[in-house]
Amino acid sequence: MADRRRINGPVGATVPPVYDSPPPPKTNTEKDEESVRKIFLQTGVTPSASGSAYLELVNPDSTGPSNTSLKLSCTVHGPRALPRSAPFSPHIILTTHVKYAPFATKQRRGYLRDSSERDLGVHLETALRGAIIADRWPKSGVDIIVTIVEGDQDRHAPESQRDDSWDTMNVLSGCITVASAAIADAGIDCVDTVAGGVAALVAKDATSRPSVVIDPAIADYHKIYAACCVAYLPTRDEVTNIWFKGQLPGADMMLYNNLIERSLVACRIANKVVVTTLKKTIKPEEEVS
Amino acid sequence: MATQTSQTLSSAVYAKLSPHPYLLANLQPSVPGTPASRTNGRQPTQARPPFVNTASLTHAHGSAVVRTGDTTVVCGVRGETLATSQIPNYRPPPPGADDDTASTAELREYDLLVPNIELATGCAPEYLPGVPPTTLAQTLSTRVYSLLHSSGLLDVQDLRIYHDPSADEAGAEAEGDDEHMQDDDIDGVGIAIPTREVKAYWVLYIDLLFVSLDGNPFDAAWAAVVAALRNTKLPHARWDADREMVLCSRREAPVPLSVSGLPVACTAAVFTAKDRLKQSQSQSSRSGDKKDSFWILVDPDRFEESLCDETVTVVVDRSDKSEDTRILGISKSGGTIVGQEVMRRFVKVAEGRWQDFKKVL
Repeated sequence: MADRRRINGPVGATVPPVYDSPPPPKTNTEKDEESVRKIFLQTGVTPSASGSAYLELVNPDSTGPSNTSLKLSCTVHGPRALPRSAPFSPHIILTTHVKYAPFATKQRRGYLRDSSERDLGVHLETALRGAIIADRWPKSGVDIIVTIVEGDQDRHAPESQRDDSWDTMNVLSGCITVASAAIADAGIDCVDTVAGGVAALVAKDATSRPSVVIDPAIADYHKIYAACCVAYLPTRDEVTNIWFKGQLPGADMMLYNNLIERSLVACRIANKVVVTTLKKTIKPEEEVS
Repeated sequence: MATQTSQTLSSAVYAKLSPHPYLLANLQPSVPGTPASRTNGRQPTQARPPFVNTASLTHAHGSAVVRTGDTTVVCGVRGETLATSQIPNYRPPPPGADDDTASTAELREYDLLVPNIELATGCAPEYLPGVPPTTLAQTLSTRVYSLLHSSGLLDVQDLRIYHDPSADEAGAEAEGDDEHMQDDDIDGVGIAIPTREVKAYWVLYIDLLFVSLDGNPFDAAWAAVVAALRNTKLPHARWDADREMVLCSRREAPVPLSVSGLPVACTAAVFTAKDRLKQSQSQSSRSGDKKDSFWILVDPDRFEESLCDETVTVVVDRSDKSEDTRILGISKSGGTIVGQEVMRRFVKVAEGRWQDFKKVL
């Protein structure tokens, strides 16, 4: 599988470091159930793009070198003219690319896009499509590129302990939030700012009953039964995308609705951050001009 | 498109319509008394100040973020282990061969350093994902690769993982077996003391990601590589003979890599005034007797790079105690204007750039 255009490493298989002793026990600062981890959002990171934004999620009890857990960068290029060969389209054509950096997760990711990244791209496109006023830009395309500089994984969690795709939910909600800020920075008309939020049904340790938590920090919980990531337009009270994964215990019929309602709370909090950031972006411009 | 007379064109419109005369007018102002400068306000030998931030990534053994103006690059260094049984052309190093020549040979032959540059992150409108690496990305990766090896920055001794049989048998491990200790005392007298052998290597994956590109990617990329390598700490590793794999220990603190020297790259683009313009006002020309006047623009941005064909890069290192400037690499391509005299002066500029980076690295 030698990629001719990149510098490939040695021919033999390389193995990530394996430790001989278990990781140090986590200092368990309990995350408040009603709160979302602090979000740092800034626009204008890539001046040559039409719009760009950068998001970081603060991790309160981190043992590693940095105190932020999820780092995403988004650039928006467009609206630009479609190539001549493309058929006429009365709406803007949205193209999303989501890519993990090779050093983003515990397992090194390659440079070619794999299925989880394509999956995230499709969800992101669905989430944003509902917010953009597409009719204003016929025969145009816009490219939204999200680069995941660091995924939301705990540094010391053993790799084989659980199916580690629950953090993809947190990554998707971060992608939606950062893409929404970047689109607004690019000046593309939207009906509202989208924000992403996650809620999960978790068991904190082996004996406790399952409970619903918003913005789960995956490493804190013993078992995660189900999670959902929702993209929400708060002012219009509309949901543009729901991604639900897992199994709900069958007895409680309202549990699914409950989970969605709780994730809307997380979306509203994230949306406040987006609006504050965009206000900061607009205000300095007004002072200059 | 309102009809406007040529005097009322804004400078942004002028820059888009005719970029070459725009830059020329800035460098060679027709009104005497206006100071000459580049379009971004800098002097021709003035580079953008660098900002470096290290150790920001959780899952990498070393990382750095370098920002020069609007060019931002993130570098992450991860180490993975490679058993020597997996290396097809492996030859054990001869005993006592810890000198430099053997060091670089092992690094190069077994591909222990893997730098890669990713430009297709939307950092500039022409670098969108979905396409294989462009010529520029491949060129940058290869240049970083060859400079990494030729500069002798790393020592292969840091990357070797040994298997020490005498330490095994003496029960130095926490899980040492007591039965073996008696046997070993008997054995140790008759048989020659086993020397430690290299059983595995660390392979360093150095990945660079451009968040934003505004000209001069090589300088920023190289600075990020040096900063990340200086920040890298690899865990203590040993070869476990029972499990036949490399095990890392949490008990000891991670070991930083020994990085020798601080090479810094300095790139400039050569901007030529074309023949048809007047030669009389060549006061900022660097060479008095040539027909073409030209300017050396240090640390070019995207606008200037699009107008210049020739670039020259010099890699210097002044970290020796004697404060001598060591030139680790000179490369120039794209034109014939830069000669020995210009190169000499450019090395002086590169020394100044070295001082800038020394302050932040």
